[in-house]
Amino acid sequence: MSGAVWRASRAAVRRRRVQTFVIGLVVLTSTVALVVALGLLAAASGPFDRTFDRQRGAHLAATFDPAVTTAEQLTRAAHRPGVTAAAGPFAQTVVTVPPHLDTAADGDYHPPPGPVTVVGRADPGGPVDRVDVWSGRWATGPGEIVLMRPPGQTWAATEGIGRRLTLPGAPPLTVVGFASSLSQTAGAWVRPDQMPALHPTALQMLYRFDHAGTGAEVDEGRTTVTADLPTGALLGSLSYLTVKQDMTGTANAYLPFLTAFGVLGLVVAVLIVANVVSGAVVSGFRHIGVLKAIGFTPGQVVSVHLVMVLVPGTVGCVLGTVLGDLAARPMLRTVFMGFDNGYFEATLSPWAEVLTLLGMPVVVLLAALGPALRAHRLPAARAISAGSAPGTGRGLRVQRRLGGTRLPRAVSLGLGLPFARPGRTVMTLTALILGVTTVTVATGLSASVGAFLDATGSAYQSVSYVGDGASTTPPTDTDAEIEAKLRALPGTARLAAAAPVRVHLAGAPQPLRAWFLRGDREIARSALAAGRWYSGPDEAVVGAPFLKKHGVRVGDRLTLDLDGRQHTVTVVGETVAGDSDGLTAPWETLAALAPDLPATRYVNQYWVQVAPGTDVGAYNAAVKAAEPGLQPTVTGDGTSVTVSIVGSATVLTLLLAAVAALGVFNTTVLNTRERRRDLGMLKSIGMTPRQVTVMVVTSMAAVGVAGGLLGVPLGIAVHRLVVPAMADAMDTTLPAGALDVWHPSALALLVLAGTAIAVLGTLVPARSAARLTIAEVLHNE
Amino acid sequence: MTSQDSTPPVVVRLDGVRKEYGESTALDGVSLEIRAGEAVAVMGPSGCGKSTLLNMVAGLDRPTAGTVTVHGEDLGRLNETGLALFRRKRIGMIFQFFNLIDDLPALDNVALAAQLTGSAPAQARRRALELLGELGIADRRDTYPAALSGGERQRVAVARALMNRPALLLADEPTGALDSRAGEQVMDLLIDLNQLGQTLLMVTHDPRLATRCASRLIEFADGRIARESTLEPTP
Ligand SMILES: Nc1ncnc2c1ncn2[C@@H]1O[C@H](COP(=O)(O)OP(=O)(O)OP(=O)(O)O)[C@@H](O)[C@H]1O
Ligand SMILES: [Mg+2]
Repeated sequence: MSGAVWRASRAAVRRRRVQTFVIGLVVLTSTVALVVALGLLAAASGPFDRTFDRQRGAHLAATFDPAVTTAEQLTRAAHRPGVTAAAGPFAQTVVTVPPHLDTAADGDYHPPPGPVTVVGRADPGGPVDRVDVWSGRWATGPGEIVLMRPPGQTWAATEGIGRRLTLPGAPPLTVVGFASSLSQTAGAWVRPDQMPALHPTALQMLYRFDHAGTGAEVDEGRTTVTADLPTGALLGSLSYLTVKQDMTGTANAYLPFLTAFGVLGLVVAVLIVANVVSGAVVSGFRHIGVLKAIGFTPGQVVSVHLVMVLVPGTVGCVLGTVLGDLAARPMLRTVFMGFDNGYFEATLSPWAEVLTLLGMPVVVLLAALGPALRAHRLPAARAISAGSAPGTGRGLRVQRRLGGTRLPRAVSLGLGLPFARPGRTVMTLTALILGVTTVTVATGLSASVGAFLDATGSAYQSVSYVGDGASTTPPTDTDAEIEAKLRALPGTARLAAAAPVRVHLAGAPQPLRAWFLRGDREIARSALAAGRWYSGPDEAVVGAPFLKKHGVRVGDRLTLDLDGRQHTVTVVGETVAGDSDGLTAPWETLAALAPDLPATRYVNQYWVQVAPGTDVGAYNAAVKAAEPGLQPTVTGDGTSVTVSIVGSATVLTLLLAAVAALGVFNTTVLNTRERRRDLGMLKSIGMTPRQVTVMVVTSMAAVGVAGGLLGVPLGIAVHRLVVPAMADAMDTTLPAGALDVWHPSALALLVLAGTAIAVLGTLVPARSAARLTIAEVLHNE
Repeated sequence: MTSQDSTPPVVVRLDGVRKEYGESTALDGVSLEIRAGEAVAVMGPSGCGKSTLLNMVAGLDRPTAGTVTVHGEDLGRLNETGLALFRRKRIGMIFQFFNLIDDLPALDNVALAAQLTGSAPAQARRRALELLGELGIADRRDTYPAALSGGERQRVAVARALMNRPALLLADEPTGALDSRAGEQVMDLLIDLNQLGQTLLMVTHDPRLATRCASRLIEFADGRIARESTLEPTP
């Protein structure tokens, strides 16, 4: 680059401090939005697949009967074409932890009740299922055990490295580490030579296949690896697709939302930057003419204008990436925390930043190149007189017509302004439309989430957990005594006792989480989407995900199995809330399943709906005083997932609204600057400062109203696309009214939002235009 | 300077007006009176403060020291809005480079001045058309400034300045951007207006404009009045 070009660009940057600052600021804000948007898009595109690939997850985890087949046969069978990798055989056993072991007093740690699969593995690595040991180390010595937990999470305060673990029928084991396996191949691991003491019942094999995209392909793989084995060797198998379906249900629900917001952020950011940059070059046309007149070649003129915008653009882009990084990381962590216990990595993908760092300057460059090339072709004389060149025919006709209306002249002049530079107006308008769309979607989304919470939320305000004897004192009273005490407390309006118990569906390997309720069941949770509530021990209700996963319909019968005892129930209702393995049934059903176990052992929480006007905090203190063996807590209004979704929607909305307002600000600065001479003249013939402000604000408020009128329907359309997609991904039936969340008054407010964004962006330049010293303008022009 | 009982009232009075721009002094203590019906020409070398003087009288800028009184109104006591309203009612201005709004046709440019005061568009356009007719360019009413000749543009500017029947018409180099023929037309126009009683204050480099149109000549140098003389208009 020649010295003259550099000097001219530097002078241009210095002479246009405001404009340079605006370009920098707009690029910075847009870059922040872009990093966040791209980060969301990256995180939202297959969170399961990324972790799964990194861990080289098992496409198929199979268990074999050691009485029928041998380790050698299994290893040989895994060497068939189509199998890319295999691990095992590992000895495996399933230990069932009974509810509330009576050895609580010994200070040992007792895992939550239910079956635990323990596998003997020498190391966490290997060709398949590379387990992440996220705390402590792998079990390498005798008597050591590693627990499978999502990264960074333990299931109880008492769970920790060094704790002694008591499993039924096993020697005491010491916890030496925590590890996560997305393939969910085990609940705990020990050293292989530890397994005999745990009485292994099966051999585990883990496979990766060439083709495993569909269920049929995984089935084919299973046929391949079992073809040479004796019949009856295969005990059971688990496809990663089943695990994925289970794990990504909630995450998938938010992907449509995250994608919609990511795309909106991307488009708005790019649009505004393009608008600001091209506007800067257009407003430099006069300058271009002068440069040409003093002998700059067309190429040099183009260079000057590119450098002029690239300097602030680059600074804004770099700073924006740093800020975007700072903003996106905690946001992604919060957003993804709520998803399926945090198995997914919610890190900011580096390519979001790389793409932004490389992409933003390209956007700046392309946006500047168009008008700069136009300047390139412009004859010097035309360029010098540009800025005062007459507008397009349509713009003029509109001005003409407006002049004849009865509107105050300041208003009608303002209304005509947007037509003088239609290109710039269209870009600003588009940004405003998308800004309003974002605001609309965000408000609609929180309203829908609210409606959903209303339909699925609990009607009780206090939950008292029963002390488990490990971290908390167990109650000395019996279940019946506790219930009587709680019912006697002042403030108790309605009460239900809940017993979550793992039962099996007869013939299925994975347990269900069944909730057995006693007392005022109607305070429980969830509106019904179909059918009715249970009315006897032979009936149960489940959520839509359960129906889908287990292929049942309302009216079908299910046989429940608890430690060998079976009882058949009919599904009589579908709840709005509910997961794929959750089932709710009355207390009597549990009694039928476990007549010989003291039922008190199963109840682990009491739900209380307090009488209106009762202070829940004071009520809980009374609960604690009455029964020290209870841990009363206040129930939250929403789940962490919905809170983080609404929170991130708000952050993005504010960010995009700010970017849109900055775009308007910039357009107004450019418009008023180009019209300084007109403004000076209007003031010289007696336009008051207030009239100037009215004129300038009107010019953009008109665009804002248009943005509101077009953006609101677009936002409603996006909302109607995104929310059902979310419900579909969650396998949930939308409660009535979840889509019709806007009142006419709210819609009017949203239209006003566009105007508000526009007016906000105009206010400062309008006021400075009003304060413009006319003598100075006329002196300079 | 003369002042007799029968003379017309004073329209403009400047008292010790100074104007400084940072270090430089544009006006260095100017005192001056202009009476109704006078046509005053201000001449002097470039940069001596002529335009600054006009801006002070029009209330487009405020003096660093001294007072400006126009039509009995002390401009120093008016706020920005007050000044704007004052200009609307009392002042008409024309400039060397016309300063028309390019987006509006001739008629609307002229009507604008009345519409700012809240006149109905139809009424404003009617009066604008009248003025364009008087200035001989009624046929150019729908033409945009870009398509008008320099002389035509300046006549549109004059029409706009006269819209609100100002007490004082200010002109800064009204012929500066025009060729001699167009310049002549504008000069004739100014003479006619003055003969109808319009008070005129003009700044010019052109001695012909001064001698043809003005009844009094003020010569400016370094922000001060160097010389004043009364002229006999040439026929
Ligand atoms: N807005 C301003 N800011 C700074 N200096 C100014 C400004 N306006 C005028 N000046 C200075 O004040 C002095 C007088 O300027 P003015 O425009 O009144 O001169 P002029 O007599 O009209 O000259 P010309 O005949 O060239 O138009 C000049 O030195 C000029 O540089
Ligand atoms: Mg001048």
